[in-house]
Amino acid sequence: MTHILESGYAFWNPIVWIIVFIVVLIVVYFFRRRGQKEYKKDTDQTRIFLCGGEVPEAGERHIRVGNIYWGFFETLKEYYKQILRPHTGIINDYVLWFVAITAVSALVLLIAGLAK
Amino acid sequence: MEHMPLNFPFLAAALLAAVSFYIMIFKKNLIKLIMGIAMMSSAVNLFLVALGYRAGGNAPIYTDVPEGPMVLPVPQALTLTSIVINVAVLALMLTMVMQIYRHTGSLDSEKSRKLKG
Amino acid sequence: MAALITQAPILIIAIPLVAAFLTPLIGMASKKARNALVIVSLVFVAFLVFALARDVVINGIHVYTLGATSPGQTIPTGFMVPVRIILEIDAMSAFFSIIWSIVSLAAAIYSLSHIANETGQTRFYTLLLLMVTGGFGMMFTGDLFNLFVFLEIASISGGALIAFRTRFGDTQEGGFKYIVVSAIAGLMVLFATGILYGQYNSLNIAILAQAIQYTTLDQIALALLLIAFAMKTGMVPLHLWFPDAYSVAPASITGMLVITSHACMYAAFRVCFTLYGAVIDAPVVGWILIAFGLLTMFIGVTMAVFQKDVMRFMSYHAISQLGYMWLGVGVGLAVLGNPGLLATYGRDAMSGGIFHILNHAMYKPLLFFTGGALFHLTGTRDLAKMGGLAHKMKWTTILYIIGTLSISGIPPLNGFSSKILIYESVYQFNPIFTVIGIIVSILTLASFTKAFHSAFMGAELPEYKGVKGVPRSMIVGMVILAAGIIFITLFPAQIVNWILHPAADALIDRGAYINAVTGVIP
Repeated sequence: MTHILESGYAFWNPIVWIIVFIVVLIVVYFFRRRGQKEYKKDTDQTRIFLCGGEVPEAGERHIRVGNIYWGFFETLKEYYKQILRPHTGIINDYVLWFVAITAVSALVLLIAGLAK
Repeated sequence: MEHMPLNFPFLAAALLAAVSFYIMIFKKNLIKLIMGIAMMSSAVNLFLVALGYRAGGNAPIYTDVPEGPMVLPVPQALTLTSIVINVAVLALMLTMVMQIYRHTGSLDSEKSRKLKG
Repeated sequence: MAALITQAPILIIAIPLVAAFLTPLIGMASKKARNALVIVSLVFVAFLVFALARDVVINGIHVYTLGATSPGQTIPTGFMVPVRIILEIDAMSAFFSIIWSIVSLAAAIYSLSHIANETGQTRFYTLLLLMVTGGFGMMFTGDLFNLFVFLEIASISGGALIAFRTRFGDTQEGGFKYIVVSAIAGLMVLFATGILYGQYNSLNIAILAQAIQYTTLDQIALALLLIAFAMKTGMVPLHLWFPDAYSVAPASITGMLVITSHACMYAAFRVCFTLYGAVIDAPVVGWILIAFGLLTMFIGVTMAVFQKDVMRFMSYHAISQLGYMWLGVGVGLAVLGNPGLLATYGRDAMSGGIFHILNHAMYKPLLFFTGGALFHLTGTRDLAKMGGLAHKMKWTTILYIIGTLSISGIPPLNGFSSKILIYESVYQFNPIFTVIGIIVSILTLASFTKAFHSAFMGAELPEYKGVKGVPRSMIVGMVILAAGIIFITLFPAQIVNWILHPAADALIDRGAYINAVTGVIP
């Protein structure tokens, strides 16, 4: 029984991928072993360096979720303004969408049925 | 039901359904929304019972049955099950609205929401 | 053993039901006995499900007639049509029941610690077992009205479980929205069932599939059924209730609710492919599903990047991944009438969509469970208040990483296998679909990285210095799902050949489904 997943154009074999990944990991390990021997954990070498200034404490230097991907959201501000408009949280709107989509689908099916 | 004549029960069911959708879409009070769902379930139950009716039919019980056609018993069984299920759903919805009122102090679907976006 | 497998369909539905009624009685006596009852019944059901699924794949469709002298006797002597309630399990139902049994077992084990500090735990487990019954009933049933009944059972218990923690206000709101949406969907399903019954005088799916002609009323019934079930699965633009309900529930229940959405998707497939299969306007309905699938994928993920509440963020991802399944199966449905294209890429697209259901059922509850572990540890779902939690929850971090790589379709994990099947086959239908799918994958990975940084990375925050680690039963629940992920990662081809191709073929070929009930030898 082969492990190969056929999908038309390509095939996918996870065992081969994992073997290649392990080989690459071994190569990386050997690179790392040839590195600097003077590295010691838990000394001044591992202290955080922020442009030489004072390092704020953990609660303040952790980037919170509202600030991550600021550029992405700033660029797509218009899109998000439009897409957040239907997400009101009012349950009446939920029922309205259901009735609208059912009516539209029924119309599409009826017209397609007539056209056949 | 090959040619759908405009029987009163089917018209009434369609009217009830339309009114209940109107209530569910346009009324902001949560209790009215629940009434709309109750009316919708009545519409569907009426539709199901009306499906089984045969003109001049008798109750579908074999003991001492007079001559003539019988109405179909299966839609009546469906309706009974549907009534019971909708009672449970209504009870649950009313409980949740009670708790929403306890927490937010409002029965308006717009003012009592905390989750949006 | 053979007798057990013959009786398995009704046992799988009856055992959780009986256990649900026994739980309050035993819960009055001892808590440990009640927990043991829940876990043992779910383990036994899982064993039965696997045995039954294996038998269905090897020997063909299983039929169980309730109340007949023998389970296979669908039509009583002297009758022309079946009159009893019939459970019919083909490869598609068996597939869904496998994932439901695994996820409900993992969710029950997870709940042992997650709700350990709540009151009313006995009622929680009762409702959980009732929800399990409802799910299995939806997957095994052979007629439309039982589909409605079990749909309502699963919805009512699901809604009550969402609103379980009554001390929070938003759980009540989420539960209310879930119940209203489920009530409307259920009533529309019943309405459509009434329409079909009035025309063809039968409720049995197989008999209806044989007798159906595509009248105007049938088209209206198809629209009602399809959109009602699609609303329950969270298809955009009917998805607005989905994050509200799924974000506030206890995490184990959210995992199970995801599979309930899958069961509603199963019902939609049953309606489109089997019930209406002979007469359906396949290209039109297929394109409707494709259009909604693409919209769902894209809007789901762009809304997800935006969220700051961890469970809400994951529910938007659930919506977006469900779009992949609609896309794959929609492409298969669109080419259903064309045997050449069906063999070239239609069947692969359907297998990809169904494979994605399996993968989603493994990694999505896992991700919800990690979100629940975050909530359990910090007491909040807001990502802005969390940070540096990888120091305290090492196992959860690793499982979260496995879930993230899986949902984004990163090789070698299982998400990649199903996504490449979908991409390759959908590309031959229209290349733009693959492009949109890849963009959605990229945004998925981006948003999960964002949540990973907010919650797990960074130095330890002072407010979380004293918290204890994640309880062991929650880790066990998550590891069960992660083991499933690793298993599917290593053996995708076997799973496709043994489970998915039979499932896709069961949808494409409705003759076997009908013949199993009407008794004609296939």
